[in-house]
Amino acid sequence: MLGVRNLHKSFGSNQVLKGIDFEVNEGEVIAIIGSSGSGKTTLLRCMAFLEQADDGTFMFDDLSKDIRTISKKEIKEIRMKMGFVFQSFNLFRNMTALQNVMEGLTTARKIPAEEAKKTSLEMLEKVGMLDRANYYPDQLSGGQQQRVAIARALATKPEVILFDEPTSALDPELTGEVLEVMVKLAREGTTMVVVTHEMEFAKNVANRVIFMENGVVVEEGDAKEVLTDPKQEATRRFLRRILRKEEEE
Amino acid sequence: MDNIFLHFGDRFIRIVRILIESFPKLLVPCLKITITLTLFSFFFGLILALIIALVQVADIKGLKQFARFYVWIFRGTPLMLQLFIIFYGLPSFGIFFNGYVAAIIAFSLNLAAYNSEIIRSAIQAVPVGQSEAGYMVGLNYFQVMTRIVLPQAARIAFPPLFSSLIGLTKDTSLASSITVIEMMSVAKRIAAVYYEPFWMYMEAGFIYLMICTILTKMQTAFEKSMEWKQPDEAVLVKEVTEKQDLEREDRGLR
Repeated sequence: MLGVRNLHKSFGSNQVLKGIDFEVNEGEVIAIIGSSGSGKTTLLRCMAFLEQADDGTFMFDDLSKDIRTISKKEIKEIRMKMGFVFQSFNLFRNMTALQNVMEGLTTARKIPAEEAKKTSLEMLEKVGMLDRANYYPDQLSGGQQQRVAIARALATKPEVILFDEPTSALDPELTGEVLEVMVKLAREGTTMVVVTHEMEFAKNVANRVIFMENGVVVEEGDAKEVLTDPKQEATRRFLRRILRKEEEE
Repeated sequence: MDNIFLHFGDRFIRIVRILIESFPKLLVPCLKITITLTLFSFFFGLILALIIALVQVADIKGLKQFARFYVWIFRGTPLMLQLFIIFYGLPSFGIFFNGYVAAIIAFSLNLAAYNSEIIRSAIQAVPVGQSEAGYMVGLNYFQVMTRIVLPQAARIAFPPLFSSLIGLTKDTSLASSITVIEMMSVAKRIAAVYYEPFWMYMEAGFIYLMICTILTKMQTAFEKSMEWKQPDEAVLVKEVTEKQDLEREDRGLR
């Protein structure tokens, strides 16, 4: 449904993605793991056209095209069917939680305000933020902001939602409330691509795990298999390091 | 001793009388010229500044270079010189303005250069993540600018823009150099008539100070109203009950 083939991306002389193949099917939850600098966030951002990839094929529904030739109009159409949740939430600071969720419906999709509001309130309820509907982002905790951001991504009924390390910017005690919402979405069959450091989440919720290192996909497969019995040495090394860090905490 | 006190008392009464008599004579040109000059110049200057800033932010080829050139010229030369060129210089090309119009043109053009830099930096101070989030919910460039970036930039730019308004109020006194009869030139004339320059300029200064005090009070009030703050408890309760009503309706339908 969403995928890339042979994706390349460099920042200056620094090659960040060295020919990535990636695909997510409808209803799937994919976790992309790897240490920082492995290129996993760049991969996600390239698929949302927040970064311009240098080479590769981009696939979305029936569209399959050289990623460099995709027009602005096509990008906009693709984004209309895509949700994105940022590491730093990026809620519109000049709008309340409710207005944040409504914005994509009223301004971008020209849905009447009454209808948009109804949908938005439902989404806020789903993430447990209904009682904060009229609060501004600055008045919400990180976890609350991220839950509103998820509601905002959900409101437009996207075919797939991309999560860029959604809990990394949160205090440890706040990650739970966000993960809880994401588990709920996964159970409902939402198609999700999640760049994450949360191994428990990856193990229990994801169908498939992709392990990246130095701009290439090192290992890919069933989530439980990759995380409990990895085939590659690099994956094993990474998991050991993560485990040790978690124990220290 | 008596004489000295008498003399002192006479002089005191004379000064008070001059101050009281001259006050309306200063206040009228202040309201008619100084304030209107300030408001017109600031209004046109702000519109021009916004255009110059947006052209640079949007990176429109050619126009961007022109905008930089414009800012370079108008920030790099004295305001007084700009006034003189427009009022005394342009007539040699057959372009005539009266002093008041020439002053508005010069102040607007000059102010636009400074304010465009304030607006440009305010726009650039809005985190890029805000626009990215806008694009990801499906907004286009124009919508991202008008709905997200500019409202946030306005709040950042407001205090320095207001400072430039306050600065302009006093800079309008330069218009006296191109025959405009504003508060400063009136004060000068009265000072010459009574030969009391100290007290006349003190009085004019007092009026400028009063205008700026009012402006500062306005700034504080505006800034307060621009805060993205806690909602009314009442609004919140209303929203939640509305939502509950919706749910009840839904259940009824099922």
